[in-house]
Amino acid sequence: MPNASKRILVGTAIALLAAAILVFPSLAPNPYILSSGVLVLNYAVLATSWNFVGGFTGYISLGHGALAGLGGYATGLLVVKAGLPSFAALAVAALLVAALAVPLGMAALRVRGASFVIVSIALVLILLLVFQSWASFTGGSRGLVVPRPFDLSRPEHHRVFYYLFAVLLAIAVLAWWLIDRSRFGLGLKSIREDEDKAEALGTPTFAYKLIVFVVSAGFTALAGGLYALWFGDLDPVFQFSILTGSYLVLMALLGGVRNLFGPVAGAILVGTALEYFKVEYGDTPLHLVATGVLLALVVLFMPDGVLPAIGDLLKRLDRTKKSSIREVTAAELAEQRKAAV
Amino acid sequence: MLLFQSILLGLLLGGLYALLASGLTLYFGIMRVVMIAHSAFLILAAYLAWWMHDRIGVDPLLSMVVTVPLFFAAGVGLQRLLLTRLRPATLTMMSVLLTFAIALTVEGLLGYAFTGTQRRVQLGYSSASFEIFGARIAVVKLIAFVLAVIALSGLYVLMKRTRFGWALRATIQHRDAARLLGIDTERVAGYGFGIGLATAAVGGTALSLDTTIYPSLHWHWIGPLMAIIVVGGLGSVPGAAAAAMVLGMAQSLLQIPMGTTWAQTVFYVALFATLAFRPQGFFGGRLAQRF
Repeated sequence: MPNASKRILVGTAIALLAAAILVFPSLAPNPYILSSGVLVLNYAVLATSWNFVGGFTGYISLGHGALAGLGGYATGLLVVKAGLPSFAALAVAALLVAALAVPLGMAALRVRGASFVIVSIALVLILLLVFQSWASFTGGSRGLVVPRPFDLSRPEHHRVFYYLFAVLLAIAVLAWWLIDRSRFGLGLKSIREDEDKAEALGTPTFAYKLIVFVVSAGFTALAGGLYALWFGDLDPVFQFSILTGSYLVLMALLGGVRNLFGPVAGAILVGTALEYFKVEYGDTPLHLVATGVLLALVVLFMPDGVLPAIGDLLKRLDRTKKSSIREVTAAELAEQRKAAV
Repeated sequence: MLLFQSILLGLLLGGLYALLASGLTLYFGIMRVVMIAHSAFLILAAYLAWWMHDRIGVDPLLSMVVTVPLFFAAGVGLQRLLLTRLRPATLTMMSVLLTFAIALTVEGLLGYAFTGTQRRVQLGYSSASFEIFGARIAVVKLIAFVLAVIALSGLYVLMKRTRFGWALRATIQHRDAARLLGIDTERVAGYGFGIGLATAAVGGTALSLDTTIYPSLHWHWIGPLMAIIVVGGLGSVPGAAAAAMVLGMAQSLLQIPMGTTWAQTVFYVALFATLAFRPQGFFGGRLAQRF
């Protein structure tokens, strides 16, 4: 009953979102706006990839920007140095980064949360150091020029990549949805709620965490590699920036990590705002302040994101649709118990 | 001779690392919080020392009269007003994000207030140095080391010899038990945070003496510091101090064959190796096991 109408509502929302994304290129007034659209879609793919780890297991990574940068550099270097065709290089790069994620994950995931975050930040810092210093191989701070895969005019180039990013986004969202419904996803979510209990109940927590981290790294590298092919110029300072990782966290948290489309919504919100502020005010240090303050506000007051907050508001307005079974998190349960005592 | 000089420089550098890492360890012990903003406050203190010297003309060391109480208050406020608001179930993750956000804000505000230009304190004794067994040591480096040693000793005495120190250590070891004994753990935790941030004030002043500072410099510090607290075992102050000395020395020695940039990688190599082979760190106790 309420489920049927809810399903229709969700279906309509997805159809509208997909239509809006697909129609955007023909509505974009100039190539610059279109290229901003490509960037926002890139953020949407990255935030969704981040959410494989952040949303399911609750392990927050600040280093996904570096994984994307690594995907970009791997793609670029495979094209430039090894002479691979662009999209073969992209696939190989994603596999390489996923393979690298195995030892990384082994070091980072054996213990609980705090070490994972530390490793994720360390990853960004060390990669920046290496790619800046190893100039003979990576081009250093002069940058790395990646040849374009298609011989197209600039607006056409943007349009093609816009749709490529849209396809990648669809695949990532689909993968997230499939995991969300699976037994594997249930195990991951049990890690998020209470890792000790999950382990006691026989969930192979370490293996699950590692697998989902590798999947997440693969998607992130694909997005980073596609960015490299689109943008055509890589600079270590931007590819291995701690800011990229924090944007992704901000997007996913703002949109809501438990929702399929939360990170996409967050990416559209934050990504558009980022582009807008870049055009209006240029690159000022206030950029950092705005990101920091916004992130702090989200963490303090809306850790479940905007979409769930709106959902709660709607639920409160409409009292007729109270179902008997609800999803309750361990934290909420503890709070309820505390309130009851 | 070069070797001997490097060992001495490593020792001096290790002292500063040890002081800063002890602050990070305090936060972690008290609330299981990895305080990313620690090094941002370090740079803030260095900027304040530079600014006071530049505008008012006082010696950077005197700026501590202002910055240490100020940072102590900021630390208490940070713990009482912000961190306690987070849900206990997700505290470790969310506190990292919150302190990360604070670090970004501080960096942005520094960039806005002082621009991204590199700054350096010019003192009468900036270029002074002395020789010891053929090794040349800058006076400012020695002052920084002495500052770190004094602050660390003060911290040690405070933790081991005073009632407040006992209360703080009891809070770190077992919060509920400490509360049963009548310790106001909330207040003690707040003060503990204040002390942690005060170490950043002392460290920042020491840093301003012999380093060129710029707003994004804190990223160069947070990586090594986090590596130190993991290698030392999260939550163990002596462990952090020992790891700081060993890694500071290693960095200094590796600078001879590898150059300054690549020598920094020693911290990250140590971090990954520790997590892969001995995740609880080398000096960590019961606390480090689960993080």
